[in-house]
Amino acid sequence: MNTGLFTWHTHSDTLCDFKHGLTIAQNSGAKSLLVLTCSQNHYPEDKLSSLFSACPLTIFGGIYPMLTLQNTLLKQGALIIGFNETFDVTVFSQLHQVGTEDKLEDVITTTLDQKNNYCGHDNFLMFYDSLLNNIENFIDCLFECLDHGINIAGGGAGSLDFIQRPCIFTNQGLHSNAALLVTLPSKLSTGVGHGWRIFQGPFLVSDAHGQTVQSLNYQPALEVYCQAIESASEHRFNSDNFFDIAKNFPLGIEDINDNLIVREPISADNNHLQWLGNIPINSMVYLLESDTETLISSAEQAAITAFSTASEITSTSMIFDCISRVLYMEDKFEQELDVIAKHCPTPILFGVLSLGEIANSASGAICLLNKSTVISSW
Amino acid sequence: MNKALFIISLQHELAMAIGNKLDLKAMLKVFLKVCFSRLNLTSAHIYMHCDHSGMPSKLAALESKNYQHLLSIPKNKRGQPWQQNSVLTNFAEQLNHAQQNISFRCKNDHFLFGFIISDHGLLIFETHYALADEVQKALLPILNKLATSCYTSLVHDSLVKEVHSRQLIEEKVAYQAQHDGLTGLFNRQHINHLLTNAIEDAHRNKHIGTIIFIDLNRFKPINDAMGHTVGDKILLTLANRLHSLSSEHIDVGRFGGDEFIMLVKNLNFGYQDAISQLITQINELLAIPFVIDANSYKLSCSIGYALFPLQSSTVNNLIKFADIAMYEAKRAKSKQGKQYQPAMSEKIKRRLAYVDDMKRGLEHGDFKLYYQAQYNHYGDIIGAEALLRWQHPVHGMESPGVYIPIAEESDLILAIGQWVLEQACRDINKLEQLALPESFKKIAINVSAKQLNQHDFQERVLHAIKQNNIPAERLALELTENLLVENIEDSIKLIASLKANAIDCSIDDFGTGYSSLTYLKRIPASVLKIDRSFVANIEQCNESAAIASMIISLGKTLKMNILAEGVETAEELNCLKVLGCYQYQGYYFSEPLPFDEFIQLLN
Repeated sequence: MNTGLFTWHTHSDTLCDFKHGLTIAQNSGAKSLLVLTCSQNHYPEDKLSSLFSACPLTIFGGIYPMLTLQNTLLKQGALIIGFNETFDVTVFSQLHQVGTEDKLEDVITTTLDQKNNYCGHDNFLMFYDSLLNNIENFIDCLFECLDHGINIAGGGAGSLDFIQRPCIFTNQGLHSNAALLVTLPSKLSTGVGHGWRIFQGPFLVSDAHGQTVQSLNYQPALEVYCQAIESASEHRFNSDNFFDIAKNFPLGIEDINDNLIVREPISADNNHLQWLGNIPINSMVYLLESDTETLISSAEQAAITAFSTASEITSTSMIFDCISRVLYMEDKFEQELDVIAKHCPTPILFGVLSLGEIANSASGAICLLNKSTVISSW
Repeated sequence: MNKALFIISLQHELAMAIGNKLDLKAMLKVFLKVCFSRLNLTSAHIYMHCDHSGMPSKLAALESKNYQHLLSIPKNKRGQPWQQNSVLTNFAEQLNHAQQNISFRCKNDHFLFGFIISDHGLLIFETHYALADEVQKALLPILNKLATSCYTSLVHDSLVKEVHSRQLIEEKVAYQAQHDGLTGLFNRQHINHLLTNAIEDAHRNKHIGTIIFIDLNRFKPINDAMGHTVGDKILLTLANRLHSLSSEHIDVGRFGGDEFIMLVKNLNFGYQDAISQLITQINELLAIPFVIDANSYKLSCSIGYALFPLQSSTVNNLIKFADIAMYEAKRAKSKQGKQYQPAMSEKIKRRLAYVDDMKRGLEHGDFKLYYQAQYNHYGDIIGAEALLRWQHPVHGMESPGVYIPIAEESDLILAIGQWVLEQACRDINKLEQLALPESFKKIAINVSAKQLNQHDFQERVLHAIKQNNIPAERLALELTENLLVENIEDSIKLIASLKANAIDCSIDDFGTGYSSLTYLKRIPASVLKIDRSFVANIEQCNESAAIASMIISLGKTLKMNILAEGVETAEELNCLKVLGCYQYQGYYFSEPLPFDEFIQLLN
């Protein structure tokens, strides 16, 4: 049984306090440490890296904009969870340099061969650098190459300023442009929700490349986006308020089963819109809207799903909740944590506010989500 | 309305995903990936019609519809290839049999939907939901487009293969045009081309270069004795060794046979040292024994070189000069190599003129056969050796020691040899008309290496005998010991065959060569001729006497007659008698005489 043996957290943003916590964790009897820290901390990279290198226990985790513990939000500080199993941790590093799909497949296949194709392991956590530009190709390829169905939950690390810094932890130190795959010793149950509904559309993605949409309905994408919002709401765009308004109107890609895959805008330049995830050309998309109550309700539903399918031996629950939900709900966000905690059967509930979330879709494939709540339990 | 729009956009998206790559598998993979993500598939598979070699191909009319698994997303199913998944395989078989869209509900509530890619293959989707009818119908035009794209890819693949094989052939032809087939070194044509460029470059940049000609010494006997396979292996080994000297400024080529060539560029005024050093390196490479099939061979070479643009700026001249210099080095038995000198060409010219003189001499009847009588110890003439004499119109009587080696370098020796054979037979015919002493047996003629190597040598001899209507036993052939050894197996066969036709052979100059006694035993020769060098002053020289004694014993053992050449004094004769040699030839008895005088001597 994978009992969360040890939990330590701090609201302090100093490395000294973190070091103290790490020392306690090392002496706790745990064999593996999940280390999560807030991006607002003042931790010098090199010193943090040295601490991880010197640690005799397996370390994994990352830097996230915020963390959660039970129903509390940590805007700064750190969280260490100690497990009494040695977790297998695989780092896929320098992924930004893997230019083609064939090379990506080579990298993944080689690693899978080294890991005996994760034989006997079906349950994973994934931590990755949210500014890794080919993360969707990576997860697609990982799914293609893994020869068995897997359960996975994960979230993108980094900070809200969208400046890339090393943000993934291993015993080798801090990594950027990396993805971390951690095998779990028991079955992972997940629940996923986003709470967004159709506001305007559909729009045909008439020109797009990767995460950038150049045109919608053959018109400049930004123009269409702004006009659609202004025509149906009281919001008016000016030169400074794009993100203040856009955080309320993500994009939804409709799939064949009428599900919406949510995509969050991250920049608007030259009449192009960039999203936190690929938008396929020729796909149909909608502008979405929501409200706090619906968002919280979706999170509660996700919690019910995750915890209702969890087995009796489940002891640990982890949330990958999109940071944009905090920005949207502001002070009311803790209500979301409350409803999740209310349904949580495990003694330990913690999580990260992430930049992009990872979960299985209904078909079994691995999906990159935005503005969503992924609740996992094992 | 929005559902219709969704289907149109889906159709459009799938259509746009077709034909993005030219390679068939890559093209299908792009399509399958888009299907996978846009249709929320659990797995997706393509089976393709393949030809007998297992390569995807278009299905021909009336051909049996056999399909092979080509592609799946994800690649495997729980450690097993999809080909081993019985549910999928059975479904594919049903789909192939039905040749129309079918579906199947699996035990896990998943669905399999199968589609036909007409004339090319099968497309199968696994879903966790039932694919709506309208979506399935919307896929039909997409599948037609996919079939067209498959055909395009197949055509492209065959074109790519054809272009690739053509490229390979062109590369091979280009390589063969520049390289020697056996050794892989540059061939003569390419070396000529490189030399042309090097000469231009030398002029432009005021550099010096050299062309070095390397010829193996005594390689032919190895080739003849051990066979071409061994010879080729030696040449290949040497080529590899010489190639180790090649660099940015040194090109190595095979000129033909056992001749190699090196083109050295970019030399400065210290060129002489550089060339000497290179020649030393070449000799060092040659000095390493050539171990082929557990046998070790030692080889040496003769090296000549010419400088450009100092000595010439034309390719033909430079190669000719280097070749001339190499022949000079070979004649001089020089290991250091020789630089071409204009005097060498003069010498060659003189030799060529001399060869012309010989040709004319042969045509004008200036060559004569002289006969030196051979005696037994009773003083009876038992035969004679025919010796060639040339009355040069300017130089007077020429020494055979001068013109025979020159004739041997050219094919003129064959014409001379043939003339000697025919003239001797004519003379024998004349002798046959006379009352010859009973002791007189035969006339012996000397045979050269080139004559012996003629494939029809025996026929030529027999023809001359027949044409002149003489008894074959009247003619004998004298072959030098070295000549026999060069191609011992063939020599043995030839001598045996001649003997069967009543023509005896003598081994000339015996004792001066390198005969293996093992071989000697197998040579069916009738006479061993003790070389004149052992006969001269034999009574005063114990070593000569010992050698002569040994040859005499050997002859007796092998049941061969022993004849001593160059007997000039009574003391030599007496000594030979004491040692047991009873046949003689030499000035003590008779000098070589013109035929008419020889007849008088016989009488």
